[in-house]
Amino acid sequence: MQNAFVLRAAERGHDLIKSDGSRSSYVAGHPDGFIIRESSFNFHDYQSGRPGFGKIRVFGDEVFAGAGCGYNMHPHHNFAICAFVLQGELTHINTAGEGTVDTLRQGDYYVFSAGSGGKHSELSITRADMHAIYIWFLPSQLYLPPSYHRNHFDFRKRRNALVQLVGDEDGALPIPQDVRVSRLISDSGKPYVYRPRSSAHGTYAFVLEGALKAGDITLGRRDSAGIWGVEEILLETEADATDVLLVETIMPETSGAAAH
Amino acid sequence: MSEDPFLRLMCLGCGFSYDEALGLPEHGIAPGTRWKDIPEDWVCPDCGTPKHLFEMVVLGYAEGGAAAAVRA
Repeated sequence: MQNAFVLRAAERGHDLIKSDGSRSSYVAGHPDGFIIRESSFNFHDYQSGRPGFGKIRVFGDEVFAGAGCGYNMHPHHNFAICAFVLQGELTHINTAGEGTVDTLRQGDYYVFSAGSGGKHSELSITRADMHAIYIWFLPSQLYLPPSYHRNHFDFRKRRNALVQLVGDEDGALPIPQDVRVSRLISDSGKPYVYRPRSSAHGTYAFVLEGALKAGDITLGRRDSAGIWGVEEILLETEADATDVLLVETIMPETSGAAAH
Repeated sequence: MSEDPFLRLMCLGCGFSYDEALGLPEHGIAPGTRWKDIPEDWVCPDCGTPKHLFEMVVLGYAEGGAAAAVRA
Protein backbone atom coordinates (compact mmCIF):
# COMPACT_ATOMS: atom_id res chain seq x y z
CA MET A 1 0.00 0.00 0.00
CA GLN A 2 1.36 3.38 -0.95
CA ASN A 3 1.81 5.97 1.74
CA ALA A 4 3.01 9.50 1.25
CA PHE A 5 3.42 12.88 2.85
CA VAL A 6 4.20 16.21 1.22
CA LEU A 7 6.22 18.96 2.84
CA ARG A 8 6.12 22.27 1.00
CA ALA A 9 9.16 24.56 1.13
CA ALA A 10 7.44 27.13 3.34
CA GLU A 11 6.25 24.53 5.84
CA ARG A 12 9.76 23.61 6.94
CA GLY A 13 11.26 24.74 10.20
CA HIS A 14 13.06 28.06 9.80
CA ASP A 15 15.99 29.23 11.91
CA LEU A 16 18.25 32.23 11.53
CA ILE A 17 21.08 31.74 13.98
CA LYS A 18 23.35 34.71 14.55
CA SER A 19 26.85 34.40 15.88
CA ASP A 20 26.15 36.49 18.95
CA GLY A 21 25.58 36.06 22.65
CA SER A 22 25.77 32.50 23.90
CA ARG A 23 25.35 31.28 20.31
CA SER A 24 28.78 32.64 19.33
CA SER A 25 30.46 29.60 20.85
CA TYR A 26 28.35 27.41 18.57
CA VAL A 27 28.02 29.54 15.44
CA ALA A 28 31.28 30.88 14.01
CA GLY A 29 31.83 34.21 12.29
CA HIS A 30 31.16 36.61 15.14
CA PRO A 31 29.97 39.36 15.00
CA ASP A 32 28.33 39.42 11.56
CA GLY A 33 28.06 35.74 10.64
CA PHE A 34 24.73 33.94 10.58
CA ILE A 35 23.30 30.61 9.52
CA ILE A 36 19.95 30.14 7.84
CA ARG A 37 18.60 26.65 8.35
CA GLU A 38 15.43 25.26 6.79
CA SER A 39 14.65 21.94 8.46
CA SER A 40 12.51 19.22 6.92
CA PHE A 41 12.78 17.09 10.03
CA ASN A 42 14.41 17.64 13.31
CA PHE A 43 13.84 17.58 16.97
CA HIS A 44 12.79 21.19 17.41
CA ASP A 45 9.26 22.09 18.34
CA TYR A 46 8.63 24.14 15.24
CA GLN A 47 5.98 21.96 13.71
CA SER A 48 3.54 19.26 14.58
CA GLY A 49 5.12 17.36 11.72
CA ARG A 50 7.60 14.58 11.47
CA PRO A 51 10.59 14.12 13.74
CA GLY A 52 12.16 11.99 11.04
CA PHE A 53 11.58 9.57 8.19
CA GLY A 54 12.90 6.03 8.42
CA LYS A 55 16.52 6.43 9.60
CA ILE A 56 16.67 10.14 8.70
CA ARG A 57 16.62 12.47 11.69
CA VAL A 58 17.85 15.74 10.21
CA PHE A 59 17.48 17.17 6.72
CA GLY A 60 18.81 20.71 6.79
CA ASP A 61 18.89 23.14 3.88
CA GLU A 62 21.54 25.55 5.18
CA VAL A 63 23.30 28.78 4.21
CA PHE A 64 26.41 30.06 6.00
CA ALA A 65 26.50 33.83 5.44
CA GLY A 66 29.49 36.05 6.13
CA ALA A 67 33.19 35.20 5.86
CA GLY A 68 34.16 32.82 8.65
CA CYS A 69 30.61 31.67 9.37
CA GLY A 70 29.73 28.09 10.22
CA TYR A 71 29.76 25.74 13.18
CA ASN A 72 32.68 25.82 15.59
CA MET A 73 34.32 22.53 16.60
CA HIS A 74 31.79 20.41 18.49
CA PRO A 75 31.37 16.72 19.36
CA HIS A 76 29.16 14.01 17.93
CA HIS A 77 28.61 10.33 18.49
CA ASN A 78 26.89 7.69 16.39
CA PHE A 79 25.13 9.81 13.76
CA ALA A 80 26.17 9.38 10.14
CA ILE A 81 26.24 12.95 8.86
CA CYS A 82 26.28 13.79 5.15
CA ALA A 83 26.85 17.17 3.51
CA PHE A 84 26.19 18.01 -0.13
CA VAL A 85 27.69 21.36 -1.18
CA LEU A 86 25.52 23.32 -3.60
CA GLN A 87 27.30 26.68 -3.69
CA GLY A 88 30.30 28.37 -2.17
CA GLU A 89 33.14 26.67 -0.37
CA LEU A 90 32.92 24.52 2.74
CA THR A 91 35.93 23.90 4.94
CA HIS A 92 35.24 20.73 6.87
CA ILE A 93 37.52 19.77 9.76
CA ASN A 94 37.03 16.51 11.64
CA THR A 95 38.87 14.36 14.15
CA ALA A 96 38.03 10.94 12.63
CA GLY A 97 41.13 8.76 12.50
CA GLU A 98 44.16 11.01 12.22
CA GLY A 99 41.91 13.96 11.47
CA THR A 100 41.00 15.69 8.23
CA VAL A 101 40.87 19.20 6.85
CA ASP A 102 38.91 19.17 3.62
CA THR A 103 37.66 21.82 1.22
CA LEU A 104 34.42 21.08 -0.60
CA ARG A 105 32.91 23.03 -3.47
CA GLN A 106 29.86 22.71 -5.72
CA GLY A 107 29.14 19.03 -6.35
CA ASP A 108 31.41 17.79 -3.56
CA TYR A 109 29.91 15.79 -0.73
CA TYR A 110 30.97 13.79 2.30
CA VAL A 111 29.83 11.11 4.75
CA PHE A 112 31.14 11.63 8.29
CA SER A 113 30.23 8.76 10.58
CA ALA A 114 30.84 10.00 14.12
CA GLY A 115 30.65 6.49 15.64
CA SER A 116 32.52 6.18 18.92
CA GLY A 117 33.10 9.92 18.97
CA GLY A 118 34.36 12.63 16.69
CA LYS A 119 34.41 16.39 16.57
CA HIS A 120 33.88 18.52 13.53
CA SER A 121 33.78 22.10 12.40
CA GLU A 122 31.96 23.37 9.32
CA LEU A 123 33.12 26.74 8.00
CA SER A 124 32.65 29.06 5.06
CA ILE A 125 35.89 31.05 4.99
CA THR A 126 35.30 33.05 1.82
CA ARG A 127 32.98 36.02 1.40
CA ALA A 128 30.56 34.03 -0.76
CA ASP A 129 27.64 32.34 0.94
CA MET A 130 28.07 28.60 1.40
CA HIS A 131 24.97 26.57 0.67
CA ALA A 132 24.71 22.87 1.57
CA ILE A 133 22.25 20.14 2.41
CA TYR A 134 22.99 18.30 5.66
CA ILE A 135 21.43 14.90 6.37
CA TRP A 136 21.82 12.93 9.61
CA PHE A 137 21.07 9.22 9.76
CA LEU A 138 20.81 6.89 12.72
CA PRO A 139 23.63 4.32 12.46
CA SER A 140 23.33 0.54 12.18
CA GLN A 141 25.37 0.07 15.37
CA LEU A 142 26.49 2.21 18.26
CA TYR A 143 30.14 3.24 18.64
CA LEU A 144 31.39 2.26 15.21
CA PRO A 145 34.93 3.38 14.35
CA PRO A 146 34.64 7.00 13.16
CA SER A 147 35.11 7.47 9.43
CA TYR A 148 35.16 10.16 6.77
CA HIS A 149 34.73 9.71 3.03
CA ARG A 150 34.22 12.32 0.34
CA ASN A 151 33.52 12.39 -3.34
CA HIS A 152 32.46 14.66 -6.20
CA PHE A 153 29.29 14.60 -8.27
CA ASP A 154 30.04 15.90 -11.76
CA PHE A 155 26.73 17.13 -13.08
CA ARG A 156 28.25 17.93 -16.47
CA LYS A 157 28.93 14.26 -17.10
CA ARG A 158 25.99 12.80 -15.23
CA ARG A 159 23.07 14.76 -16.59
CA ASN A 160 19.75 13.02 -17.22
CA ALA A 161 20.57 10.03 -15.05
CA LEU A 162 19.82 8.87 -11.54
CA VAL A 163 23.21 8.72 -9.84
CA GLN A 164 23.73 7.07 -6.46
CA LEU A 165 26.04 9.23 -4.34
CA VAL A 166 25.86 7.37 -1.03
CA GLY A 167 25.10 3.67 -0.66
CA ASP A 168 26.26 0.34 -1.95
CA GLU A 169 26.65 0.95 -5.68
CA ASP A 170 30.04 1.12 -7.37
CA GLY A 171 31.63 4.49 -6.70
CA ALA A 172 29.09 5.57 -4.08
CA LEU A 173 30.33 6.53 -0.62
CA PRO A 174 29.79 3.87 2.05
CA ILE A 175 27.50 4.53 5.00
CA PRO A 176 26.77 2.27 7.99
CA GLN A 177 23.00 2.14 7.52
CA ASP A 178 20.43 0.71 5.11
CA VAL A 179 20.07 4.00 3.25
CA ARG A 180 20.97 5.41 -0.16
CA VAL A 181 21.22 8.96 -1.47
CA SER A 182 20.86 9.60 -5.19
CA ARG A 183 20.80 12.75 -7.27
CA LEU A 184 19.10 13.57 -10.50
CA ILE A 185 19.85 16.61 -12.65
CA SER A 186 17.66 16.55 -15.70
CA ASP A 187 16.18 18.41 -18.60
CA SER A 188 12.45 19.00 -18.60
CA GLY A 189 9.89 16.40 -19.58
CA LYS A 190 11.96 13.28 -18.93
CA PRO A 191 10.58 10.22 -17.17
CA TYR A 192 12.54 8.13 -14.69
CA VAL A 193 11.77 5.16 -12.48
CA TYR A 194 13.28 5.06 -9.00
CA ARG A 195 13.27 1.58 -7.48
CA PRO A 196 14.08 1.39 -3.79
CA ARG A 197 15.69 -1.82 -2.63
CA SER A 198 12.30 -3.11 -1.49
CA SER A 199 8.81 -1.93 -0.65
CA ALA A 200 9.98 -1.84 2.99
CA HIS A 201 12.18 1.12 2.02
CA GLY A 202 10.81 4.64 1.88
CA THR A 203 12.08 7.40 -0.38
CA TYR A 204 12.31 11.07 0.50
CA ALA A 205 12.43 13.22 -2.64
CA PHE A 206 13.68 16.78 -2.18
CA VAL A 207 13.62 19.20 -5.11
CA LEU A 208 16.69 21.44 -4.99
CA GLU A 209 15.79 23.27 -8.20
CA GLY A 210 13.10 23.03 -10.84
CA ALA A 211 9.95 20.93 -10.63
CA LEU A 212 9.24 17.24 -10.34
CA LYS A 213 6.27 14.95 -10.48
CA ALA A 214 6.71 11.97 -8.17
CA GLY A 215 3.84 9.55 -8.69
CA ASP A 216 0.84 11.89 -8.59
CA ILE A 217 2.57 14.49 -6.38
CA THR A 218 3.87 17.69 -7.98
CA LEU A 219 6.81 19.31 -6.22
CA GLY A 220 8.34 22.74 -6.80
CA ARG A 221 11.65 24.18 -5.66
CA ARG A 222 12.53 23.03 -2.11
CA ASP A 223 9.29 21.06 -1.82
CA SER A 224 9.67 17.45 -0.77
CA ALA A 225 7.73 14.24 -0.32
CA GLY A 226 8.20 10.97 1.50
CA ILE A 227 6.78 7.92 -0.27
CA TRP A 228 6.81 4.40 1.12
CA GLY A 229 5.20 1.01 0.66
CA VAL A 230 5.87 0.91 -3.10
CA GLU A 231 8.27 -1.02 -5.33
CA GLU A 232 8.92 1.87 -7.68
CA ILE A 233 8.29 5.57 -8.00
CA LEU A 234 7.61 7.17 -11.36
CA LEU A 235 9.36 10.51 -11.68
CA GLU A 236 8.96 13.16 -14.34
CA THR A 237 10.88 16.40 -14.53
CA GLU A 238 8.77 19.45 -15.29
CA ALA A 239 11.43 22.16 -15.68
CA ASP A 240 14.86 22.38 -17.25
CA ALA A 241 17.82 21.82 -14.93
CA THR A 242 15.62 20.14 -12.35
CA ASP A 243 17.86 18.98 -9.53
CA VAL A 244 16.58 16.40 -7.03
CA LEU A 245 17.96 14.48 -4.06
CA LEU A 246 16.37 11.08 -3.41
CA VAL A 247 17.01 9.67 0.03
CA GLU A 248 16.05 6.04 0.45
CA THR A 249 15.78 4.53 3.92
CA ILE A 250 14.60 1.34 5.50
CA MET A 251 11.34 2.03 7.31
CA PRO A 252 10.18 0.84 10.72
CA GLU A 253 7.80 -2.08 10.46
CA THR A 254 4.76 -0.29 11.81
CA SER A 255 4.66 3.26 10.47
CA GLY A 256 6.26 5.84 8.28
CA ALA A 257 7.35 8.20 10.99
CA ALA A 258 10.18 7.99 13.44
CA ALA A 259 9.22 6.18 16.61
CA HIS A 260 8.20 8.69 19.23
CA MET B 1 16.06 -5.49 40.22
CA SER B 2 13.58 -4.97 37.43
CA GLU B 3 13.40 -7.65 34.81
CA ASP B 4 12.71 -5.18 32.01
CA PRO B 5 15.53 -5.14 29.47
CA PHE B 6 17.90 -2.22 29.70
CA LEU B 7 17.17 0.61 27.29
CA ARG B 8 19.52 2.56 25.06
CA LEU B 9 18.75 6.12 24.05
CA MET B 10 20.39 8.57 21.69
CA CYS B 11 20.60 12.34 21.97
CA LEU B 12 19.02 13.88 18.88
CA GLY B 13 21.23 16.95 19.24
CA CYS B 14 24.57 15.20 18.87
CA GLY B 15 24.20 11.40 18.94
CA PHE B 16 25.50 10.87 22.48
CA SER B 17 24.10 7.57 23.74
CA TYR B 18 22.81 6.66 27.18
CA ASP B 19 22.77 2.97 28.08
CA GLU B 20 20.85 2.03 31.24
CA ALA B 21 23.13 -0.97 31.78
CA LEU B 22 26.27 1.17 31.74
CA GLY B 23 24.99 4.37 33.34
CA LEU B 24 27.39 7.30 33.18
CA PRO B 25 29.70 6.77 36.15
CA GLU B 26 31.91 9.73 35.23
CA HIS B 27 28.82 11.95 35.34
CA GLY B 28 27.54 10.50 38.62
CA ILE B 29 24.97 8.06 37.17
CA ALA B 30 25.50 4.50 38.39
CA PRO B 31 25.31 1.49 36.06
CA GLY B 32 21.77 0.12 35.98
CA THR B 33 20.12 3.52 36.41
CA ARG B 34 16.82 3.54 34.54
CA TRP B 35 16.09 6.39 32.14
CA LYS B 36 12.86 7.16 34.03
CA ASP B 37 14.90 7.66 37.20
CA ILE B 38 17.11 10.34 35.66
CA PRO B 39 15.83 13.82 36.58
CA GLU B 40 13.68 15.56 33.97
CA ASP B 41 16.00 18.57 34.01
CA TRP B 42 19.03 16.46 33.11
CA VAL B 43 20.69 17.47 29.84
CA CYS B 44 23.11 15.78 27.43
CA PRO B 45 26.60 16.10 28.92
CA ASP B 46 28.08 16.74 25.46
CA CYS B 47 25.70 19.25 23.92
CA GLY B 48 23.11 20.37 26.49
CA THR B 49 20.08 18.94 24.68
CA PRO B 50 17.23 18.32 27.16
CA LYS B 51 16.36 14.80 28.30
CA HIS B 52 13.03 14.70 26.45
CA LEU B 53 14.85 15.05 23.12
CA PHE B 54 16.54 11.67 23.45
CA GLU B 55 15.13 8.83 21.36
CA MET B 56 15.07 5.19 22.37
CA VAL B 57 17.07 3.06 19.94
CA VAL B 58 17.31 -0.69 19.48
CA LEU B 59 20.92 -0.93 18.36
CA GLY B 60 23.82 -3.17 19.26
CA TYR B 61 27.35 -1.97 19.81
CA ALA B 62 30.08 -2.29 17.25
CA GLU B 63 32.97 -4.50 18.38
CA GLY B 64 34.63 -2.85 21.37
CA GLY B 65 31.91 -0.20 21.44
CA ALA B 66 30.46 -0.97 24.85
CA ALA B 67 33.89 -0.67 26.49
CA ALA B 68 34.35 2.70 24.75
CA ALA B 69 30.88 3.83 25.83
CA VAL B 70 31.79 3.37 29.51
CA ARG B 71 34.54 5.96 29.04
CA ALA B 72 32.26 8.45 27.24
